[in-house]
Amino acid sequence: MSVFTLAQEAREALLHKELAELTEHHRAHCAEYDRILTASGFTSAATVADLPWLPVRLFKNLKLKSIPDDEVFKVLTSSGTTGEVSRIYLDKAAAATQTRQLGATLQTVLGRKRLPMILVDSRGILKDRRSFSARGAGVLGMATFGRDHAWALDADGEPDVPALRSFLEKHGAEPFLVFGFTYLVWLHLYEVAREHGLDLSNGILIHSGGWKKLVDRAVSPGEFRRRLREDTGLTRMHNFYGMVEQIGTIFLEGPSGGSLYCPDFADVIIRDPHTWAEQPVGEPGLIEVVSTLPTSYPGHVLLTEDLGVLDGIDDGDWPGKRFSVLGRLPRAEARGCSDTYREAS
Amino acid sequence: MRFRFGEPGELTAPSDERLAVGDPRVMDFLSRFARRLLAPAMARRHPELGSLGYFLRPAELARATSRMRRDDDTYVFPRGTVFHVPPANVDTIFVYSWALSALAGNHNVVRISSRSAGAAETVLETLNATLADADPVIGRTQRMVTYGRDDRLTAALSAWCDLRVIWGGDSAVEAIRRHPLRPSARDLTFPDRTSWAALSVPGWHAADPAARRAAVVGFSNDAYWFDQAACSSPRTVFLVGGGPAEAGTARKEFLTLLGDVVEQRGWVIDAAMAVEKRVNAYGLAATGAASALAFPGNAVTALSLTGIDAAPRRWIGAGAFPFAHVSTLAELVPAMNRQDQTFSHFGFAPDDLRGFAAALGGRGVDRIVPFGSALTFSAIWDGYDLPREFTRLTTLET
Repeated sequence: MSVFTLAQEAREALLHKELAELTEHHRAHCAEYDRILTASGFTSAATVADLPWLPVRLFKNLKLKSIPDDEVFKVLTSSGTTGEVSRIYLDKAAAATQTRQLGATLQTVLGRKRLPMILVDSRGILKDRRSFSARGAGVLGMATFGRDHAWALDADGEPDVPALRSFLEKHGAEPFLVFGFTYLVWLHLYEVAREHGLDLSNGILIHSGGWKKLVDRAVSPGEFRRRLREDTGLTRMHNFYGMVEQIGTIFLEGPSGGSLYCPDFADVIIRDPHTWAEQPVGEPGLIEVVSTLPTSYPGHVLLTEDLGVLDGIDDGDWPGKRFSVLGRLPRAEARGCSDTYREAS
Repeated sequence: MRFRFGEPGELTAPSDERLAVGDPRVMDFLSRFARRLLAPAMARRHPELGSLGYFLRPAELARATSRMRRDDDTYVFPRGTVFHVPPANVDTIFVYSWALSALAGNHNVVRISSRSAGAAETVLETLNATLADADPVIGRTQRMVTYGRDDRLTAALSAWCDLRVIWGGDSAVEAIRRHPLRPSARDLTFPDRTSWAALSVPGWHAADPAARRAAVVGFSNDAYWFDQAACSSPRTVFLVGGGPAEAGTARKEFLTLLGDVVEQRGWVIDAAMAVEKRVNAYGLAATGAASALAFPGNAVTALSLTGIDAAPRRWIGAGAFPFAHVSTLAELVPAMNRQDQTFSHFGFAPDDLRGFAAALGGRGVDRIVPFGSALTFSAIWDGYDLPREFTRLTTLET
């Protein structure tokens, strides 16, 4: 069972129809969204790329939802370093769908059975309410896809080697799941496993969270895979890209590594940030993500502030587009008069 | 703490040095500084320093000094000690307020941001180069320093000064005001401001192509220097007079010309700024403040406001222009408030502008200037007559 089955042409035909319907649905149920589309002069889209995108940051500034207040089942929030928080409103149906589709996406690489699981994080992040943010929520969300959890870090955030050893003694001979943020995996699992000779060869690593901290340490995605393979025996590794504003949709790295793939209900479009036209393979631009999952809020077509590049179409491990994330667009800053404060206080 | 200009030493120590209003030693220093700024090589590198040099040339200094002097039995003296907290990113504004204060004979301490760069660094180099053959009193009474987050130093300077000049908007004013002044001292504050532009629709249609182009060139300088984020940068453009069709044509012609001028100048709006403008424009559409959005390119974003009350008072990005149409300038009067600073105009009869200024009745707007002059600093700023603010009076009755 896989959700990575549709070749690009078939995918676009399907997505175009469903996303166009979602656009009309959200226009009818979200007045703010309708006003934006009316003001932009949008009438209809001939292709997926013609669909009107919203900047993802809009969910930090506005309350955008297509369901009545009394049907709000869950409000998801993202954590931002600047104190701005996205609010994503889910009804029961949307909440169920996102969990189901995230599960289906992960089952492609994990199989149907729940596996024993190492969480490359500290149990402490669930206790401290102030830091219980995207990281805590991400870890908790992923924990449901495994069983017999072990935490790789102790309460102080130090590597817990005895916990890892005892997990591996019990479960290391059969497939097990490892989840963590990419830089934590590198710092607190890779280095510890290498140092203590831990055998991770039956592990399946799912990781996310950006490469910036690793690139600062001169560790490229390729280097990351190679070193983990050579030094810990880990061969099955899947990075993923996703965001709370399109919850349930993740773009998953294929088995041979290097590129992210789109599940059948989603796609990406790379846009030239000057002309906003679709970029061909190999030309970097801003990443637009589309997904049919957002039914309770108008988040089905979003322009992110991440830079990416298409690596190919229908030519990789799985059908459809494959792409890489290159980094983040810096936030625009005014050079105006109102900026003494940051230093002056 | 780093001394960027002036003699290092205790900033708040008592001083026996005395400067007079319009002190010749200060005049001499400032005019030699201005001459360096006006050197062709310098003006090429930093055009904004040319404007500063022009502001500080001897004739201007003499005029500013004469505004401080009185011919009745009233003696004008320096206010005393002045502590300036300028904004980090508007490179040159600190020089204007410092220079006027120095001209008034004050002892000044200017806090230079550690993030200052570009033109500000050039200004400091030039000041120091001028200092080499200036009267030593300049370096002993005029100091510019950079220091990080240090409340004690800000508190000490606040307790030391007779006048504290705070630029940088509401949050800066609030943050600095936590530090008490002496009972006799006071603040001169430059809080968050909004500035507007007004285009007369009949005036536009009556103007010949050269006049239109000159207006747009002036407007583009006003808007695009400082990323439309300076307190005097025009944001919303009010189309005044004419019918809806004529206003629509004027707007279209104006925007087309603006796009051409911006392209010719080679001013590029980067991707981050383009996204910032989309976020803000979509936000205004979502809340019903804007009924139409146009993104002809990243450099120019146009929004149609649903009314004059919908005009945003916050920064919405570089090259973002909300438009609203009104029949007369008088219609704008109720929408103006104390936050409003500069109102730049094109195509109006002088009497219309006089009528508008009078009708405002002090409810807001400090400057009414033609397109192209919005950013030109003047000794009267934000409603203050700065040479007067920097001096104090002793009256004599015999």
